[in-house]
Amino acid sequence: MPVKLQIKKLCKEFPGVTALDDVSFEVEAGEVHGLVGENGAGKSTLIKIISGALASTSGEMILDGKPFRPMSPRESLNAGIAAIYQERSWLPFRSVMFNVMLGNEMSLSAGRMDSRGMRARCAEVLKTLGAEEIPIGSNAEELKAGQKQILEIARALVQNSSLLIMDEATAALNSEEQEALFSVVRSLKARGLTILYISHRLEEIFRLADKVTVLRDGRRIKTMPISETNKDQLIADMVGRSLANAFPRKNPAPGKPIFKVRGLSADKVFNDVSFSLCSGEVLGIAGLAGSGKEELGLCLFGAFPKDAGTITINGKVLPHSPAKAIANGIAYLPEDRKLEGIFLTLPVKRNISLPVLKKLSGAFGRIRRRREDDLAREWTTRLAIKTPSLMQLCENLSGGNQQKVALAKWLASRAKILILSHPTQEIDVKVKFEFYQLIAELSRQGVAIILISSELAELRGLCHKIMVMREGEAVATLDPEKSDAETILRFALGHEKQAATP
Amino acid sequence: MKVSKPKLYEFLAENGFIIIFILWCIFLALFTDSFLHVSNIMVILRQASIIGIVAIGETMIVLMAAGMDISLAAILGVSGVMVASSIAGGFAVLPAALAGIVLGGMIGFLNGALVTRVRINGIVVTLGMMYALEGVAFVATKGQTISSPAMQALAPLSRGYLGPIPVPVLLLFAAYTIAYYVLNYTVFGARVYAIGNNERASWLSGININRHKMLGYLVAGLLAGFGGVMQTARMGSATGGMGSEFLFPILTAAILGGISLNGGKGKIQNVLIAAVFLTTINNGLILLNVPIYAQKIISGVILILALSLDRLRSVRK
Repeated sequence: MPVKLQIKKLCKEFPGVTALDDVSFEVEAGEVHGLVGENGAGKSTLIKIISGALASTSGEMILDGKPFRPMSPRESLNAGIAAIYQERSWLPFRSVMFNVMLGNEMSLSAGRMDSRGMRARCAEVLKTLGAEEIPIGSNAEELKAGQKQILEIARALVQNSSLLIMDEATAALNSEEQEALFSVVRSLKARGLTILYISHRLEEIFRLADKVTVLRDGRRIKTMPISETNKDQLIADMVGRSLANAFPRKNPAPGKPIFKVRGLSADKVFNDVSFSLCSGEVLGIAGLAGSGKEELGLCLFGAFPKDAGTITINGKVLPHSPAKAIANGIAYLPEDRKLEGIFLTLPVKRNISLPVLKKLSGAFGRIRRRREDDLAREWTTRLAIKTPSLMQLCENLSGGNQQKVALAKWLASRAKILILSHPTQEIDVKVKFEFYQLIAELSRQGVAIILISSELAELRGLCHKIMVMREGEAVATLDPEKSDAETILRFALGHEKQAATP
Repeated sequence: MKVSKPKLYEFLAENGFIIIFILWCIFLALFTDSFLHVSNIMVILRQASIIGIVAIGETMIVLMAAGMDISLAAILGVSGVMVASSIAGGFAVLPAALAGIVLGGMIGFLNGALVTRVRINGIVVTLGMMYALEGVAFVATKGQTISSPAMQALAPLSRGYLGPIPVPVLLLFAAYTIAYYVLNYTVFGARVYAIGNNERASWLSGININRHKMLGYLVAGLLAGFGGVMQTARMGSATGGMGSEFLFPILTAAILGGISLNGGKGKIQNVLIAAVFLTTINNGLILLNVPIYAQKIISGVILILALSLDRLRSVRK
């Protein structure tokens, strides 16, 4: 078969991070090409470059034998590439017809819309997809999740695309809807379309793909026919083993339980989660995107509504609010540090002093500058935060140093329980390892840590135990000394079940 | 999506202001003598015409979630001054009126360029523009009223009749017919709604977001310029502050008419009804002999009520 899309030495750098590093592979015309990798492996970045939503830093692409460098989604669409993104991309208050025809509205003369033609084309495409039951006149918000997904595929078909990119297309679908989507994918393939299929559900890859490419840490690890690999091999390729020995020694003797969670539930996000945490212990929470682990972390901090369950700290029930959590020595390091973790337009020192500002102030709320400076200096030194001065605005710091500032804030307030949500995401390797040292050191000092992460190596290297979440359930609690990364991933993917969690 | 709301609640959230409007009309019909007179109704429609026409541009901008144009009333003011001083300076009426409209369009274009190219928040851009234009209008008029006998030639635009219908009322309905058509039956209109619904998805579908927003601001500027011509015709003169009384009703008409401030939702015909409602409030309060400052209080309360309805609309789940 001829090559549809050739990717050659593609690189993408973000400030402080290399998202794609010299990636090359080929997609043949008419095949379903699976693309797999852990979170942060570079899948999303790659498809954004192919679909014109991002520009690559270097490298090239060749589409149908011709150099291809889309500068906007429009150019990519014109070249016959349509992408179905993970993000919600329907128009909630517009009818199915307008959703499907978005960007391809048909006109008669003088911009007059050809409603009849559009309706017919929309119906035709829905029929091809076997989705005649979707009412063309209804607004998108009234549809079921599976039907909304169909809208996006229909939009791609209207464009007469020859290459379709599907990014986690089944994430929001129930099993029946998934089956329907699979048959759609097969029929599209039968019609000669090339499909780049991204999914973290490996069984889908094995059912649909002809070939599969594995990405890890922004690099292409392997491209091979699906028949030449199996699930275990694929998981091993995704996980890798490069960082195994780089972790500091764990705190050998965690203390007494201080933090207990019983039957914590949040409607449709996570359900009946229980665990306890000792001082000086590091608990990892693993799970795929959509497993509910991030929301659980927020909920522990009182920042995500709960339906049921109790959280006790030193035997006392913790009221459900961030303010009360902070008052009880709980700190939360959010996943999106720029949005939630730090104040970009405040200086480093104020970012650090903010939670304890009251304690640093004198009469009439006057901030005692000397004490604030001392505090900020102490923590910038201890965490080796690289900043030209304490007055530097956080927006001018690198990602890793921003993350350190976000953490310093809580350390300065002497938090006893730290909830870290993806603390090493999008920071470079060197700072990553500084973070690992820091986590180990804090735990030796008796700080209890909950580490939410998608990086199995770091969970295994740092945690005393790992709770695995899958679709809102805590499916297993594993001992990292006895369970390798593949076992963890198996639980996360649902390939293995644990009878009773210890 | 989970909880199905009662139909009545939904109806009120969508059309609440229309019910308030009807109740207000019944109240006025009962407690004043002249409200239902044809002549009074024509007065209301005539007054609603300028607000209504300019509110179309506001509606387009809000529909695209491109901000909110606060400068339209000020554009109306400088355009009016432009028209009046051109005529006073010896120009014929038609080129003078065109100059006013073109000036409005140019300012709208500049607003659009600042929003889409320089990427300044739309509210901030137009707030600054409003302030600057008010200054320009006063400088240009030196604080005086600009008037000349030649301006009588503009009068038909305000006092003229076509059959039994006043010209401004005719213009109002013509403008809304066109706007209704454009928003509902053209590709451009479909994309205006699409952008307001989901800008990123629209961009990823190859729609040129900036071009549409530019056009929105441009059309809003042109219509505000036209509003300036109409207001000059109505007063037979122009002053530096002639735009300021329109600031409030233009914004309120769009919001009260149910154009969601989050974009993508709302019907242009309801903006027309809202514009008429707003003038009816003033008209009624005058008929009831309510002092001018109390009128302001009531108008302000109505805007907040309208925003509460917008909130009801956008609270889903």
